[in-house]
Amino acid sequence: MLNISDLYGKVEEKDILKGLSIDVKPGEVHAIMGPNGSGKSTLGNILSGRPGYEATAGSVTFKGQDLLEMGTEERAREGLFLAFQYPVEIPGVSNMEFLKAAVDAKRKHHAQSDLSSVDFLKLARETCKRVDLDASFLKRGVNEGFSGGEKKRNEIMQMMLLEPDLCILDETDSGLDIDALQIVANGVNAMRDGNRSFLVVTHYQRLLDYIIPDYVHVLAGGRIVKSGDKSLALELEAKGYGWLENEVA
Amino acid sequence: MTEQVESLIKKDYAAGFHSAIESETLPPGLDEDVVRFISAKKEEPEWLLEWRLKAFRAWQEMEEPTWAHVHYPEIDFQAVSFYSAPKSMDSKPQSLDEVDPELLATYAKLGIPLHEQEMLAGVAVDAVFDSVSVVTTFRAKLFEAGVIFCPISEAVHKYPELLKKYLGSVVPQKDNYYAALNSAVFSDGSFVYIPKGVRCPMELSTYFRINEMNTGQFERTLIVADEGSYVSYLEGCTAPMRDENQLHAAVVELVALDDAQIKYSTVQNWYPGNAEGKGGIYNFVTKRGIAHTNAKISWTQVETGSAVTWKYPSCILKGDNSVGEFYSVALTNNFQQADTGTKMIHLGKNTRSTIIAKGISAGRSNSSYRGLVRMNPGAEGARNFTQCDSLLIGDRCGAHTFPYIESKNPSAVIEHEATTSKVSDDQLFLCQQRGLDAEKAVSMIVNGFCREVFKELPMEFAVEAGKLLEVSLEGSVG
Amino acid sequence: MTDFQQSALQLANKQQAATWLQPLREQGAANWSAASWPGRKTEAWKYISLAPLQQQSNLRWGTDADDSAVDSVEQVELDATCLVFVNGRFNAARSSALPAGVVRFSDANAEQQPLIQQHLGKVVDSERHLFAALSNAWVEDGILVYVPRNKKLDKPLYILNVATPEAESAVASQRLLVVLEEGSEAEVIEHFASDAREQNGFVNSLTEVVIGANARLQHYRINLEEENLLHVGGVHVDLHRDARFHGFTLAQGSRLKRIDYQLNMRGEGAHMELNGVYLPRNKQVIDYHTNVEHCVPNCTSNEVFRGIIGDSAKAVFNGRIHIHPKAQKTLAELSNKNLLTSRTAEINTKPELEIYADDVRCAHGATISQLDETSLYYLQSRGISAADATTMLSFGFINELLNQVPEQAIQDYLRPRLSSLFGQASERVGHLTYE
Repeated sequence: MLNISDLYGKVEEKDILKGLSIDVKPGEVHAIMGPNGSGKSTLGNILSGRPGYEATAGSVTFKGQDLLEMGTEERAREGLFLAFQYPVEIPGVSNMEFLKAAVDAKRKHHAQSDLSSVDFLKLARETCKRVDLDASFLKRGVNEGFSGGEKKRNEIMQMMLLEPDLCILDETDSGLDIDALQIVANGVNAMRDGNRSFLVVTHYQRLLDYIIPDYVHVLAGGRIVKSGDKSLALELEAKGYGWLENEVA
Repeated sequence: MTEQVESLIKKDYAAGFHSAIESETLPPGLDEDVVRFISAKKEEPEWLLEWRLKAFRAWQEMEEPTWAHVHYPEIDFQAVSFYSAPKSMDSKPQSLDEVDPELLATYAKLGIPLHEQEMLAGVAVDAVFDSVSVVTTFRAKLFEAGVIFCPISEAVHKYPELLKKYLGSVVPQKDNYYAALNSAVFSDGSFVYIPKGVRCPMELSTYFRINEMNTGQFERTLIVADEGSYVSYLEGCTAPMRDENQLHAAVVELVALDDAQIKYSTVQNWYPGNAEGKGGIYNFVTKRGIAHTNAKISWTQVETGSAVTWKYPSCILKGDNSVGEFYSVALTNNFQQADTGTKMIHLGKNTRSTIIAKGISAGRSNSSYRGLVRMNPGAEGARNFTQCDSLLIGDRCGAHTFPYIESKNPSAVIEHEATTSKVSDDQLFLCQQRGLDAEKAVSMIVNGFCREVFKELPMEFAVEAGKLLEVSLEGSVG
Repeated sequence: MTDFQQSALQLANKQQAATWLQPLREQGAANWSAASWPGRKTEAWKYISLAPLQQQSNLRWGTDADDSAVDSVEQVELDATCLVFVNGRFNAARSSALPAGVVRFSDANAEQQPLIQQHLGKVVDSERHLFAALSNAWVEDGILVYVPRNKKLDKPLYILNVATPEAESAVASQRLLVVLEEGSEAEVIEHFASDAREQNGFVNSLTEVVIGANARLQHYRINLEEENLLHVGGVHVDLHRDARFHGFTLAQGSRLKRIDYQLNMRGEGAHMELNGVYLPRNKQVIDYHTNVEHCVPNCTSNEVFRGIIGDSAKAVFNGRIHIHPKAQKTLAELSNKNLLTSRTAEINTKPELEIYADDVRCAHGATISQLDETSLYYLQSRGISAADATTMLSFGFINELLNQVPEQAIQDYLRPRLSSLFGQASERVGHLTYE
């Protein structure tokens, strides 16, 4: 699904990723943990093609294609989805308009016909329900005036609508209370189907109680310094990140 | 504003004395002969006389601008004397020892000692008295660094090529009514040239003093910073207290060649007139700089004086990546009127400009910010940020904002914000409750309001500006 | 006097106005003749040229001989009293029956005439507004809306002004006077439209509004004429104690389009809100001048104007707030945001503050910028193309103000029309969003 090999990346002339490698197979859930400033968010931004984030060396293949050669929207249409840590507010552009445009764009890319307005509206309303968002959210501006939890649920709602092959969750758990966390986790778990892969980026182990990872990687200083199964997350929770940094150093 | 605040308005203008100096003063009036007289007095070459006459003829065809938010009786230019110089300067003193002691005493009284050993270390001064430069200090030291700092009347003889090349290159003779007048009759002023790659070793400064009755001052300053050089320049101005209005129409031209930086600071404290609005200087000034590639021009001004101020220090951001800045505090009290601001003309790519303007109005005065930000079609990626804040003290004054914002480039970004506020009774009460008197409290609040601008001033000036503000505000509170 | 001034005056002689309107007509003619013709150095006309108007020689009045143009104009679907004008002529056949309180000047009875005389031409300062002087000189007909004390106009009043080209270019003079007595309420929509043909006319429109104590007006002014129509218009409002004015205006540009809004806060506690949108394209120009006079204490005003300027179009926005010496405790705000979408487009904006009272809170802001990069990236990260994302965000910039329009029918009318302006599938925003 996703193969990252010896990836180097920079943001505004600052080197952040320094030789990061991960291999994610279809259906796997990989958790990436790390202290603040380790490059966790940079990874998601580089993978999704955010302007200003530049891969300087290494390679990334996504479903057998060179991901870094693709434009932002092309990556999305091919099935890469990034759930943002801080989704931007776009007043004046309604959620509904936005979601329809995104779904239409993906369907067109895969040579499928547009959904009719009626069908789409039905689908969007159902999806809202699945993440416990009131359907009136569809009429409001994208993320406009949403609470932190509503923004995160809106991200998961988009993920459900767009049915990506690879979902990257960038600290989706930050700022969520336990109820919202469960809604988000249930949404993600419902999408696990044996083929879809997940890259769950988080600072805390908490989310991994609900989304059980197949692998846990520790990111520090721009590369993976330790990998293991889900027990590694618990170990990190107990010991903090300090011991690892020392061990690596 | 409370009665208490109001009743404190009274003003003490410390620089308002007159010096008993025998002067040679041209009788009032303006015609071609006056222009020729001034040129002859300065023993100017033919080209400069022609240059002046061209300006004079243009001026005669021009109309006095009326768009500014200021009101004053029509100026009778035939009642103004266009040249006045201390007689003692006729003998062309070669050193400080030969300068009339009364002149030196005048400057000493203004806090500007001209003996180098007494001066603030690191500041060179050109002292301009009515129509002539009295003395320029530290010239030898500057000369070592290759820096030219001398009266413009002297530069005409010593550096004719530089003068020919740059005089009028930023502010052409016909630029506007007062610039044309200045071009015709300018008497003296400073000339600065910083050679390539040189960082001027000291602050340069010119101190302008009007002394004679019924005399206008028309100085002209030209600063050329060659490639990669840096200079910081300060100017100060004062005049005696008189019941008649006096005219001051200056022109300042700045040329910042590639990678050069010019920082130009002004503390303008011309006589503002008395509490009834009688007397004071009409200050009609054209200041403009042109910034070439990667160059930077920064204007900082603290305007507390003059009866009427009409002044818009501007930047033409011609070169790619050039930067223009304008930091201004304009304080008006009693019957003063100030219409001041800046123009930022963005021509080059990725040019940047910042405008921070603080207007403080008290008494029956009016203070206006008038500015232009223009993005020309070539100003790809250019940026401007403008913040204009007004503070009103009392309910008989006015504070106004007239920003012209024009863009012809879709990639340029302009942000303009303006707010107005007052010194609130709550703020005053808080300060008083903590034991400060009202006047001190207002002065603190006003200083805080101006802090963003004061921090741009060279240190010695920042202190002076703060004190000046305090004096100018005296009595504005009660 | 210029030729245009002269020939405009002569046009007044071809009217048959009632004698009770004569004093205003004469005063208008005097102001119009005395005015010096604006040029580039005239501050109020600094950025746009009146040349397209001056090129109109041999002025003549428009007729409604061919009113079929009305059929080709889509109307706002609204349960309203609808008054239709064609080239400045009232078209009774296509209009609703006039409800009580709404009357044509030419039909005004002995009670209504003094009311019109009392207010018409009195809200506007025709010495400062050149084309208001012309409108006064041209007063022959118009609509009076009068709502008595504590009454409410039953239905919104929808005034549709349709322009259609005539063999030779013709002139229309539109006049509306709204008088709301104490505690009354009304909603008025002025819709200026044309058929799709290339227009050749000139419309001079003037609306005067008096909002009595505690009364409330919801007002709309929509200008969607074909781009060759010349239009100079003004909305002048007096607000008395605790009065409310809620305004919305939207206009496309034309060869000459100038709209003035003048709000006079005359009674304490008055409040006004005005949102505006301008969308000039091609070689169109549009010039909005707004002026809020805070004459008395304790009033509030809030203005938001946004513009998108494309192609080789030019927009001008001048928003002045004037706080008089006695107007303490005023709160006044103005925001103007602009998007330039082409290398040959031009925007000139000037938010002005003139303040003579110290205990006030006034602020204005103006920006000229691009679409937010983070928002563009967010849309792209969901698979939406850069071009579509740009379109969506541009429309969103305007849609923010549309969303605040209280009359749903107007939102529904404008949204698909505007989204198609931005090359966006109108279906997506027209029906889906607000099904």
